[in-house]
Amino acid sequence: MKVVRLVLAGGLLAGASLPAGHASALGVAGRSEGGAGQSIYLQGVLGSGAPLAATREDGLVTTGTDAACVNCHQHSGLGSVEGRVSIPPVTGDYLFHSRANGAGEPVLAYAEGVRGNRDPYDDATLARAIREGLDSQGRPLNYLMPRFALDEKDMAALIAYLKSLSVRRVPGVTETVLHFATIVTPDSDPVKRRGVLDVLDAFVAQKNRAPLKPSPAMLTSGRTQYAKSMYMANRRWRLHVWELTGPASTWRAQLEKKLAAEPVYAVLSGLGGSNWAPVHEFCEQNAIPCLFPNVEVPVVADRDFYSLYFSKGVLLEAQLIARTILGADGRTAAGAVEQVYRAGDSGERAAQALAAQLRAHGMEVRDTVLPAGAPGRGVQAAVRRSARGEKGSGRALVLWLRPADVAALGDVPEGTDVYLSGLMGGLENSPLPAAWRERSVMTYPFDRPDRRGIRLDYPLVFFRYHRIPVVAEQVQTDTYLACSLVADVLNHVADNFVRPYLIEQLQGMLERRIITGYYPRLSLAANQRFASKGGYLVHFRDPGGTALVSQGDWIVP
Amino acid sequence: MIPSSRPIRSRCLACLAFLALAVAGPAVDAADAHAGPTPAAKGTVESTHPYVVPPVSLTRADGRVVSLPDEMNDGRPVVLNFVFTTCPSICPMMSSLLSQFQHRLGAEADKVHVMSISIDPEQDTPSRLLDYSRKFDAGPGWQFYTGTVQASITVQRAFDVYRGDKMSHNVVMLMRAAPGKPWLRIEGFATADDLLRAYRGVVAGRLRANADGGNVNFQSP
Repeated sequence: MKVVRLVLAGGLLAGASLPAGHASALGVAGRSEGGAGQSIYLQGVLGSGAPLAATREDGLVTTGTDAACVNCHQHSGLGSVEGRVSIPPVTGDYLFHSRANGAGEPVLAYAEGVRGNRDPYDDATLARAIREGLDSQGRPLNYLMPRFALDEKDMAALIAYLKSLSVRRVPGVTETVLHFATIVTPDSDPVKRRGVLDVLDAFVAQKNRAPLKPSPAMLTSGRTQYAKSMYMANRRWRLHVWELTGPASTWRAQLEKKLAAEPVYAVLSGLGGSNWAPVHEFCEQNAIPCLFPNVEVPVVADRDFYSLYFSKGVLLEAQLIARTILGADGRTAAGAVEQVYRAGDSGERAAQALAAQLRAHGMEVRDTVLPAGAPGRGVQAAVRRSARGEKGSGRALVLWLRPADVAALGDVPEGTDVYLSGLMGGLENSPLPAAWRERSVMTYPFDRPDRRGIRLDYPLVFFRYHRIPVVAEQVQTDTYLACSLVADVLNHVADNFVRPYLIEQLQGMLERRIITGYYPRLSLAANQRFASKGGYLVHFRDPGGTALVSQGDWIVP
Repeated sequence: MIPSSRPIRSRCLACLAFLALAVAGPAVDAADAHAGPTPAAKGTVESTHPYVVPPVSLTRADGRVVSLPDEMNDGRPVVLNFVFTTCPSICPMMSSLLSQFQHRLGAEADKVHVMSISIDPEQDTPSRLLDYSRKFDAGPGWQFYTGTVQASITVQRAFDVYRGDKMSHNVVMLMRAAPGKPWLRIEGFATADDLLRAYRGVVAGRLRANADGGNVNFQSP
């Protein structure tokens, strides 16, 4: 039979770095270097540096990253369920656990794809399973499971790695308490900071009001292997607020110190300014889930694992504008594009992103930069300066400005299409002067106000009940949404607090959610970090007020 | 609680062909329309259905906005499946199979329109679909489609593959000889040989939908 060889990204992945703390994140004491077993499992790279080869029953061969165990068995090693296909856990705990009654053995937490009806493996039968596709009792494994030709050394390394995935203790999780951290950077907006922390405090307080009681043991015959394992304790949440200080170059060290002093299970919500990279990298390197921080400039790295964001923020807005200026087919529009932003603010990053996209299509882009601080000052002059370029049709002006600057806008330049960042400028509350309203299009990376009303009822009632001042509705409802998502997913996680599993379960359950706050839809999967993927272009209907009209449908750039 | 991963066992084709000839007009339980009696491949279930192609617009991986009926009804036989580019296990396998299928057809491959439609269209932009298609060495006869969420769901419903969220999707291949003919639905893990054999059967007209659309009747081979 002819073998179709699909040689995919073989060899070492350029630029991919394995989190040094990956093993420690799973609760294994001490930091391990990962080693050969981890390279095989996560990257599909053998000890020799050659790509791993996966051969299926019909002769089909895959190699490298696409052959790596992680694709099906997940970072946590706990497998998953996809439709009617269930992929079993392959951590040492599950592979070597004896059948049934569990006298004296640690009780295994429930994992969806678990195989209850087989004898435990040992090293020899496990190696046979990987090489020949037979289970512990010699029965063929599922059609999806390929065969792998590993030499003795690689096989030993891989089996050792699978054993290391077994968990005895996860940092930040005790019998009765789940520890979370929320991170606030010093360049974040102080008004939003208060709003975010109010919501977090109230949510945690409400969660903890439920009386703590042990879960009832599963009332089953006891014959099933996991009869005792559905232990879902209603643990208290303890929130650690980590407020960073000083320059961004010092944040990483501060975070490492805080983590050492207060080990946490995950990082929840939080608030950034225009630079979140040190926090993103901290979470990635320490293998800690970083769940839906409120940031306008996230880190875009699809191959990272531990950070999840609601959207790409101003970077998404830049994409929306680029797509509109260039046209959906990417053909270059005539004319130049001018941008105005304040140094150091989120608009700077957005302007860079937009300029890169436009210049790649041969467009000319000129930036007028206002100095940091002094909001409202210098805006009119900046707009006039930017308008001194070539006149003619097809000019576009892009304003990455906060409300104070938007309110200070003077005369509208002639013959120019104007684009505004909705996220930075206050969305429908943007104080855009009347004269500008007819000519301006605003990017709007959320659902339209007239459509999202019902989905916001719950958080808004929550704010009223807890007497939380609504000072930044979008950021505060996002915070509430993050909390309720995490509370939800903890039910799916059952007692399996392995940190990567939290990410995997979130990715799997998110699409089924109905309450999605400001976003029309949230969806994630493996190798996806951004749950909401598009936005609208809108303009103000009237010279005053907040009524908006959308131009066309939801756009996914 | 523990989901079964064993595919439904099938009987051999010869036995079924015999049965189909021997039994005049099998009575069909309308509630069991998917349990077609002719699983031709080990571990798969086949059935026929008169699915109607919905009149939606989709975006092809090359960026063109197209009408689905136009794409499907250019006269060529169609092999259809539903994927998403970040699918962990099912889609890579299905797409590998289609790649093998195309290779085995050789020069004939241009005569078949292989279509893969995304069930995660917001993530699967045309450029991501293009990358995905390159991974599977897709020949010119194999195209990938995305679009709005609404359009994707409409198509999924039309072919009865919509399961509420993408992680609930199943292994399904669909084939049709020509516009107006019924669709063959193959559920479960087929091999490339199975696909080829099913394809030849479909193209040779060796299947006919019953009035209720739920059964496969193989005419004498």
